[in-house]
Amino acid sequence: MDETVAEYIRRTVLKIPRDEIKTMLQKWGLLSETQLQTINFRQIKENISQDVVQLCEENSADIKQAAVLDIIYNHVYPNKRVWSVYQMKKTGEETEFFDLTDFKKKFKRRLRSALKNVTINFREYEDNAIWIRIAWGTPYTKPNQYKPSYVVYHSQTPYVFISASVLKSNLPLLCQALVLASNYHDIREMELRSHSLNSLKDIVFKRYSQNFQTHYPRPLQERNVAPESADLRIIQENKTEKERIERVNREVFGDGPQPKLEFAQYKLETMFKSDPQMDVLDKKEPFRCLVKFSSPHLLESLKSLAPAGMADAPISPLLTCIPQKARNYFKIRERKHFFPGSFVSP
Amino acid sequence: GVFAHLERLEAQAREVAVKQEKMKQEEEKRARLKARVRELRLQRDKLLAKVRLQKKQLREKRAMSDPAKSGARAVLEWKIKNIKAMLQVSYLTGINGKRTKQGVCFCISTAYESTYLDSYYVHLLVKPEVQIHQHSVPTFIPLEQIAKQYLQTDIGRFLSVLSDHLNAYAGRKYQADQLQEHFSDQIEGTLQRNSLCNLLVFNYKVSSKSKTFPFNARLLYGDLCCSLPTEVNVSCTPDAPASLAEMAAAHSDLFSRVALHKAFRSFSSDEESMD
Repeated sequence: MDETVAEYIRRTVLKIPRDEIKTMLQKWGLLSETQLQTINFRQIKENISQDVVQLCEENSADIKQAAVLDIIYNHVYPNKRVWSVYQMKKTGEETEFFDLTDFKKKFKRRLRSALKNVTINFREYEDNAIWIRIAWGTPYTKPNQYKPSYVVYHSQTPYVFISASVLKSNLPLLCQALVLASNYHDIREMELRSHSLNSLKDIVFKRYSQNFQTHYPRPLQERNVAPESADLRIIQENKTEKERIERVNREVFGDGPQPKLEFAQYKLETMFKSDPQMDVLDKKEPFRCLVKFSSPHLLESLKSLAPAGMADAPISPLLTCIPQKARNYFKIRERKHFFPGSFVSP
Repeated sequence: GVFAHLERLEAQAREVAVKQEKMKQEEEKRARLKARVRELRLQRDKLLAKVRLQKKQLREKRAMSDPAKSGARAVLEWKIKNIKAMLQVSYLTGINGKRTKQGVCFCISTAYESTYLDSYYVHLLVKPEVQIHQHSVPTFIPLEQIAKQYLQTDIGRFLSVLSDHLNAYAGRKYQADQLQEHFSDQIEGTLQRNSLCNLLVFNYKVSSKSKTFPFNARLLYGDLCCSLPTEVNVSCTPDAPASLAEMAAAHSDLFSRVALHKAFRSFSSDEESMD
């Protein structure tokens, strides 16, 4: 077995939390159950990884097999990477049949024709997600396994989730291969980025809870709120206002959990509005500034702003439109109207 | 002597007269008050009797007027029940709508055979022109295409076509899920499917008389509004006996007519009947 392969497997195993190593190796399937039983999973990780490498030697694992372990690790811990969403466009209106083998063949062919030194791995999952791992090389060097790009694609959808490596120069080639393989014509990057892959999927696949009015709302039991305080001496003075805020909040955010985003960025190119007597700027030019909201869970925190009394309800649509517009990067330019930021550039 | 005596007698007489006057007045007063008391007592008794009578009348009136009141109430209740039943019926047909401030919100419920599946929502704005405001339709359903074709001209048609797509997708997905859930022991390897569930490729085996027969199936669902395949290819290994080829052809026919999980169910029942 190649030295580089051994080292790669060793380093990949080291990334995995100790309690998860056995399960992941089982999912990997390279080592047999009997081989796995020879490993003491209670020793320190350094030693576990050495044992694993030893066993892989016996099985003469190659780099492609080693890469599968990396995919499994990233599939279980996708939130360690930053994912961007890309949208593909097609002009034709034919029904798609999406043949997986066809897709894989076209993708590999396109990439390999441009760049010989690439390692490409595919892995399909239950939810129709196709994971693609690409390790990039150059015409003169072998692929760098430590900086792979990951692509997650759900068939027959126009959305692709890419976690590019630092080597951004390979991105155009990757996009081209994707477009070709999936029978689309064009691809563009959306202004939507997050660590949470599932939340990004929730947003673009519209799987998050939106508030739709119907004649059959969900059973009332779900709306039960625990009694505020058992102590009857405590009276809610502005109960009506509180209820109004709850209602407005629910209309905007829906009832369920929000998709997990870590930040929202607003690039302002609007004019500074000051008292005409206090003319701060000599020239009338846009005041450039960047407003960035960060949070471990941005949308949930926005949802709790009004009930916590920190903001007025309804919250500004610039903040609440994030899941519906499927973007968390905005550019706001001046508009003739009173309502600022209506002109949101694509 | 005599005048003084006379004066004294006069004074006495006067005193007695005054006393008597006083007593008379008091008597009169007492009599008057007694009369007043008697009068008031009489009035009180009259009023009490009146109250009693009115109470009795009220009770009688209530007992009499109840049927009239319950009549109006009953009509209202019947009306509400009727509307609820209509809503229930429209909900059962799969498409129901609710007016909103900005337009109408439609809920399309899907079902396959006798199982209710997911519901999807489309919120339409009606002015300035009909457009989709918000929706929860999955991205692989060609919503924009359907909207482009029908939304402006015929909303009913738009909804019915969308409902056909969603119901067919739900049906295909249900069949594939049932296959993976209940017949996984007959499937070799993984079931290759896609988001729309309109292309299924898998290897399966059928056993009879303790022999297993492997097949490969490729089901193509060309019509997105249909939950049965338009093209079925069942093949076996090239060196298989002719009887197997016949079986493959039979299966091919079966898959194009019958729901996938039902077809597999019939295989196991065939196996039981054969043994």
